[in-house]
Amino acid sequence: MKFVVSSTDLLGHLQAVSRVISSKNSLPILDNFLFSLQDHSLEITASDLESTLITVMNLENATDTGSIAIPAKILIDTLKEFPELPLTFEINLSTLSVVISSENGKFTIVGQKGSDFPQIPVIKKEQKSELTLSPDLLLSGISKTIFATADDELRPVMNGILMEMTPEHVTFVASDAHKLVRYRRTDGKAETGSSFILPKKPAALLKNILSRQEEDVKVEFDERNAYFGLSQYRLICRLVEGNYPSYNSVIPTNNPNKLIVNRQQFYNTLKRVSVYSNQASNLVKLQLTGNQMTISAQDIDFSISAYERLQCQYEGDEMEIGFKSVFLIEILSNLSSEEVSLELSDPTRAGIIVPAQTEVEEEDVLMLLMPMMINN
Amino acid sequence: MIFLQENSEMEYGNRSVLHLDLDTFFVSVERLHNRSLEGKPVIIGGLSDRGVVAGCSYEARRFGVHSAMPMKMARLLCSEALFIRGDMERYTRHSEEVTHLIAERAPLYEKASIDEHYIDVSGMDRFFGCLRWSRELRETIIRKTGLPISFGLSVNKTVSKIATGEAKPNGIRNVPGERVQPFLDPLSIRKIPMIGEKTFRLLRSMGISTIAILRQMPPEMMEKVMGKNGTDIWKKANGIDNSPVVAFSERKSLSTERTFERDSIDIPAMERLLVRMVEKLAFEMRIRQRLTSCVTVKIRYANFDTHTLQKRIPYTSFDHILTDVTLALFRQLYRRRIRIRLVGVRFSHLVQGVQQLNMFDDRPEAAGLYLAMDRLRRRYGPDAVRRASGWK
Repeated sequence: MKFVVSSTDLLGHLQAVSRVISSKNSLPILDNFLFSLQDHSLEITASDLESTLITVMNLENATDTGSIAIPAKILIDTLKEFPELPLTFEINLSTLSVVISSENGKFTIVGQKGSDFPQIPVIKKEQKSELTLSPDLLLSGISKTIFATADDELRPVMNGILMEMTPEHVTFVASDAHKLVRYRRTDGKAETGSSFILPKKPAALLKNILSRQEEDVKVEFDERNAYFGLSQYRLICRLVEGNYPSYNSVIPTNNPNKLIVNRQQFYNTLKRVSVYSNQASNLVKLQLTGNQMTISAQDIDFSISAYERLQCQYEGDEMEIGFKSVFLIEILSNLSSEEVSLELSDPTRAGIIVPAQTEVEEEDVLMLLMPMMINN
Repeated sequence: MIFLQENSEMEYGNRSVLHLDLDTFFVSVERLHNRSLEGKPVIIGGLSDRGVVAGCSYEARRFGVHSAMPMKMARLLCSEALFIRGDMERYTRHSEEVTHLIAERAPLYEKASIDEHYIDVSGMDRFFGCLRWSRELRETIIRKTGLPISFGLSVNKTVSKIATGEAKPNGIRNVPGERVQPFLDPLSIRKIPMIGEKTFRLLRSMGISTIAILRQMPPEMMEKVMGKNGTDIWKKANGIDNSPVVAFSERKSLSTERTFERDSIDIPAMERLLVRMVEKLAFEMRIRQRLTSCVTVKIRYANFDTHTLQKRIPYTSFDHILTDVTLALFRQLYRRRIRIRLVGVRFSHLVQGVQQLNMFDDRPEAAGLYLAMDRLRRRYGPDAVRRASGWK
């Protein structure tokens, strides 16, 4: 097996797929890239058993077919130090030696048998659902929701993003039970209703490779696995099994108290005031009266406190509600509209935060934040 | 210049620490309220046979009674003593009175227990003279509260505390730097605060009886015999103690336990008791704006075997979550099918904060209920409203 490849081109592909490799692998072979050459196409695979990412390179100068596993770290460390130049890979499949030759030198590595690399799961034909989504939709759906996913070993379903497909729209939902994001797009559709829960790691991998994608993405899934087909990459990942909690029932529908405020101002004020909140609880209080919101925080242990007033449009009763400042800041930084609307019912019920103006016609973003119980 | 001077003072350990200890505090308080108790042996503690002595007068001590002794034994030793149930609330009130007087005058004080205070009076000699100042403070306390109090004044907390022990009852003892070793040397090792019954016996078996002998032991040997404690004890015997007077220490946990009148096997009753305990502690946490992330349940069986089991949970101060965890731990822990003497529950790893509500687990009605119950309790007392599950 022999091929010639550009050093920087190869490094680019390897770095993208190497994000799959986890630092604590249960199988030593997973510290390798699987190189498979067939005709003039080189497939490079990395896997952590849960997620597998495959990239394809078309090479002009390649002979023979076959596959070999090459240690990932040593290969990347070598390639990082090369300027752009052609490298020749000569692989002896019987001795498993890999010789990389440049203009001035030779680098010899020992690989492992390609057949030892774990089998990549396939989507079962009989259970398969498929749809095509624009890369922009998929990228926004993941970027807007991933921050709200949980890290809860006891409730694995919350550690992923729920993707719901219906004939009307595609919805992405993420929640850690304190905050919830529902991102809906009417420009993505499926023929029938279906859903799956995408774990956080493959979602992050997908987010990374989607930024360079222009063509539509092919999505296939069955009960256990999902497949995302991009022009240069293929991602296959195990889905989170179980039922996502019924998120629609926790979104309050009757919120008589409505506030509209400049997002950037609100964000900056929170950033300043939250410095004075207790570091363990991060509690900030929002006091709403007339057309004014007072944001306050204090840390009794250090005798520090702060408040700041902010002009806003407010319709509703006078009220005081407490939120964890880090959550509120995260939510505001994941919205992009100039003004946001905060809809509340009472200090023990969730607040809804939505953009005050629609920016993209097809987009519907809703963020939900549970308050902290303040006792006056 | 002043800085330099202070630094060198610290280096030579030229501190002045005052240790104030109220003499037979509980008894003194009782005598304040009932003059006829004066001059008589008085014993305070739980009155049932299972209670222990919480405090006793010097007259009772002559009979061999001491605190933490089982009440049953105290009765045998000194049957003519006056036994009093004790009123913790009253003692706390008097203790706060003393603390208040100290807080008004002292630059830095530490309340070590209900009847003990440490005051860092370093540097005060330049203005008043530490001993004069301490005397005046003591006289003020006696005059204003009517409670006898003793003090020890020395270079650190340990020596001051030992000095107070020697000053009692109703006396004072000043041990300046150069007198520390001559003062400690002839005393029994028992006088060192860290040495309890077991350590005392261990050291005696090694032939160590006085502090003078103890401090001449090689510290390496002490460490070999007793680990890190050995080194600490050796340092104390040499009058070395760098621990500062700490003004305020945060409560690290909240706990409660109950010893039954009779060993019991009535599990449903114990579960109801645990529900009531959790309810009380959780209310206290909400009032103090604290959240816990660790629940510990304790069982002591009739044969004194004590078992505990703990569990880490996400931060909370809600009864319903804590009750479930506590009862689950209790059921897991109670395996022996023998009678139980004591049950207890502790919430630790406390942080300051208020409950972050959970959208899937906390119904808004539940949060509203807690707010309403806590309002009632604040207004009408902690027992104003309770969960039915804590009662038959």
